[in-house]
Amino acid sequence: MNFNFTKIERTLGGLKFAVIILTLFALGMIVGTFFESYYGTDFANRTVYKTWFFMLIQAGMGISIVFAVFVRLPPKKRLYGFYTIHAGLVTIGAGSFMTYYAGVDGSLLLPPNTPNREVILSDDVLKIRFPDEGRVVSFKLPYTGFATRVGETYQGIELGRYLPFADKNFKWIKEKRSYSNIDTRHSSKYSVANEMVAQEFTLSLHPESVDYESTLTMGPLTVHYLPESLAPCFGRNNPSKLILWDRTKSECFTPEERDISIQKAESGNRFLAFNHGDKVMAFFPDVSPWPFNEQKQVERGANLRIFSKTLFEEKPNLFLFGKTSAYYIADEEKWTSHELTKGKPLQLPWMGFDLVLEEHSDKDVPANIPEGVLPIQKNNEMIKGNTRSLELIVQGNSYWVSNDTPVQLLINGKRVVFSLQKESLTLPFEFVLTQFKMDKDPGTNRPASYESFVRLFTEDGPSNHHIYMNNPLKHSGFTFYQASYSQDRQGNYSSTLSVNVDPGRPFKYAGSLMLVLGSMWHYWLNFRKKKKKKKVTPLMAALQEEDLA
Amino acid sequence: MKFLILLTALLTFSAEAKIDQTYFCQDKLGAIPIRQGGRVKPLYVHARELMKYLTGKRSYENLSAVQTYCLLSLQAMGLESPIKLEARVDHVDAQKFFNLPEGKKTIPLASLTGEISRLQREVRKSKDQDSLKKAFQTLLNQAAIYQEITTGNNWLFPALTGDRVDWIPITAFLSEGKIREAKKVSSTPFLKVIFDEVKRFEDQKTTEHLLEYRFMKMRLPIVSMVVTLLALAALTLFKKFKWALGLSFLTIILQLALITFRVLISGRAPITNMYETVLFSGFGALFLSLVVGHFKKEKVYVYMGLMYNACTLMMMNFATGMLSDNISPLVPVLRDNFWLSTHVTTIILSYGALALSWILANTVLIKRKLGGLTQSDEVYYADHIYTTLKWGTIMLGAGIILGGVWADYSWGRFWGWDPKETWSLIAFVIYMAILHGRYTSWIPNKRFIPLVAGAFMSIMMAWFGVNYILASGLHSYGFSEGGAVFLGSFFLVQTVIIVLTSKKSETVMG
Repeated sequence: MNFNFTKIERTLGGLKFAVIILTLFALGMIVGTFFESYYGTDFANRTVYKTWFFMLIQAGMGISIVFAVFVRLPPKKRLYGFYTIHAGLVTIGAGSFMTYYAGVDGSLLLPPNTPNREVILSDDVLKIRFPDEGRVVSFKLPYTGFATRVGETYQGIELGRYLPFADKNFKWIKEKRSYSNIDTRHSSKYSVANEMVAQEFTLSLHPESVDYESTLTMGPLTVHYLPESLAPCFGRNNPSKLILWDRTKSECFTPEERDISIQKAESGNRFLAFNHGDKVMAFFPDVSPWPFNEQKQVERGANLRIFSKTLFEEKPNLFLFGKTSAYYIADEEKWTSHELTKGKPLQLPWMGFDLVLEEHSDKDVPANIPEGVLPIQKNNEMIKGNTRSLELIVQGNSYWVSNDTPVQLLINGKRVVFSLQKESLTLPFEFVLTQFKMDKDPGTNRPASYESFVRLFTEDGPSNHHIYMNNPLKHSGFTFYQASYSQDRQGNYSSTLSVNVDPGRPFKYAGSLMLVLGSMWHYWLNFRKKKKKKKVTPLMAALQEEDLA
Repeated sequence: MKFLILLTALLTFSAEAKIDQTYFCQDKLGAIPIRQGGRVKPLYVHARELMKYLTGKRSYENLSAVQTYCLLSLQAMGLESPIKLEARVDHVDAQKFFNLPEGKKTIPLASLTGEISRLQREVRKSKDQDSLKKAFQTLLNQAAIYQEITTGNNWLFPALTGDRVDWIPITAFLSEGKIREAKKVSSTPFLKVIFDEVKRFEDQKTTEHLLEYRFMKMRLPIVSMVVTLLALAALTLFKKFKWALGLSFLTIILQLALITFRVLISGRAPITNMYETVLFSGFGALFLSLVVGHFKKEKVYVYMGLMYNACTLMMMNFATGMLSDNISPLVPVLRDNFWLSTHVTTIILSYGALALSWILANTVLIKRKLGGLTQSDEVYYADHIYTTLKWGTIMLGAGIILGGVWADYSWGRFWGWDPKETWSLIAFVIYMAILHGRYTSWIPNKRFIPLVAGAFMSIMMAWFGVNYILASGLHSYGFSEGGAVFLGSFFLVQTVIIVLTSKKSETVMG
């Protein structure tokens, strides 16, 4: 047994093991840099640098270093440098481990004059919020580069597949709830194009549609998506330009068709009142689409609504009803309506645009469903795999929550909000960015320096600090560095500070120092030895050196 | 020739209506200051940089860069000139895009400006960042700059109002009133107006651009290269060691001057772009080899230093597409002279020292193949390779640690697996493996020498590869990009040398 241990010690402390470990380490790093170049920093970290096998290689190096010293004990004077170097390396390793284990490395975003104390860390978490109970649960997601099944369950909510790098693809999915026939819930996908640009867009009236809405603006043009049953009335060019819509019957009619007279109220606004079923309905169509009750209050959610086309004549407005379109032609002062056939372009009166109905569904829900991909990074920018998504399985239905789209569900009558975010840390003090200063290189827009003036609020009261490149702020164990900045549309600058706690720092510095001094010592000892044997030929010297080792 | 230009210029202004090609565009305008690219520099430098960027050359027919730039700028004042600059179109698909005839690889910049909207559409259309898109973006930039020049907006001239300097387009500065006024006293009114204002600027503000102008005119890179090559010839061909040593010292002085000028002009440590790192590593390696050679009393170090220095100087003078000698402002995070001059200098010096080992290793390999080497020679050389390797590796290790300390000081982390730092660690690990193997006699000389020659590829990867291969993304470089091609050829040639010479030694052994 004792013999075996010596043998193991000799192998681990031996040169062959050291060279194998060093080679593995170098190979791992080479793969890592190429991964980083192709797939981005995050992916390289997740698949190489911060994986268990790369950690294992580093542990192997530690073992090799420690045993290399062990097998060369008891201490010999000529190896003093060697001992120091190897002890330095072990110290650096220990410091790195402490940083990894107990350190904090995050970032703090400071929008102008907005206090913040949330530090964003790098771990991905799922936050489940129960707003009614004021409760938040968070789950740490696996640190992986590829699609992984999480497989955890919490109160009937199953965490399914996690995609750390995903792209969203357009899909029609089946509706999850049941509806009656009069419930309008159709959706359509269109494209507009002229010689210069082409754009696809999807509009939906489906209550389950999360990713698509019923209105859209494209430059000066506003697109409205309305129920199909409203379409027949739009091309009618009735003089009042008013349309009434009965939701319960899914039908539209004009006041002229029903002989409803339009009066003028004292305010000058148009006014109409008529019997509808057993009720008297009153509308101020230029004020609200909803009817007014006797108290002259708007009745939101009523089944009968009015629509005044005059409101949409000034600016370009396009009305789409699934397979029908309508718009106002200003030159001819009239409204026109067209049927849309799938794939057949319809010329619009604006900038030579053609409109095409690409897809239509009465009941299916249009959605962007994430799919796991290999990310791609170009010029320091992620061009593929930008989204992180997690599948949630609730009562047999599957939902996708992404970092850019939280999901809200009703589970057993309780509201539950799911969001995918980075783990955060709340500081025991608060920052406000009071001023952000940026100098530019003369005559250009390139930043020459950027500096943050912050006010720090602690229990002892506020204090002002100036943080800039190479001048961090140290406060109660945290160090804050000027990391980057961003600018919003109004030209206001936000500053990003990187936040750091590093318990391993003294060890890394000490280890580095030992490494440098050890190397000097080592070569000085060698140099002295060589000097003593100066008369020897180079060949002999080389042989001797080899002997000594 | 110059006299002729001067004469015709004079004639032009006396006769007024007669149009001559060069107007007042003379070479001496090169000394006036211009503010472009975030700093003030002489027009000479700016014109050469732009000409190089637009056409790949630094002159146009018989005109210098300054004259060409000046004449193009004058087009904004309605003074036509028959200059037809051509931009290079290296990408095959881009050549097709412009319907260039077979064998033609340039497009007139004047017609390129008419293609701007078509190019923009093409760039917007392509989603991937491929080489064609990159080529189009370059052409777009070139067209934009050409347009800026020919509309007179690129030549920014210092106009003084009291104590304030406004950098305004030259065409706006040369107002008719000023010229009429100057014409009364001078036969060259334009030059008089310009130089009077420049003199005021120099008296009141700065003459730094003149230093840069004189420095550029000295052509130190080419002079240094010639001197180094002479030293190398003296050492190897004529076996005159004293001559070689003297010329080596001259090279050191010339390069020191070159570095000093760049420091004075840019106001920072001379190691912030590829050109400067190549320059500094060559200089550092030669300096180091002279010092070590002096103490060891070995001529072989002088050989290593000169040989490597010659390599770097040739790169600086000839590989101008890859190494640009432009001095431009730094990104904010690097603006710390203390760390720049400690961390980067150490790393670059280590590259230089390791390059010495690489030079000697390859020399030994080739000599061995040619059969001019005894067993004891090999041991002798291996010993010196080992010395340079030791120096280089220690400096590399120290440089990596300093880099970690700088990163910790600026960002709060020692290590972030950034490709540049990772590759320098890879190189360090490889050299460590070799040193350990050699130290404990696991690697005999026979294997040691080709290993050292090959290991330098990791340095080249850390030095150039990270910028030229990894940074741009492997699939996005086209063949017009010199860096990747250079590096690829380097790896190929080095591998071929190792393979060919190892074969020889095996047959000898067998």
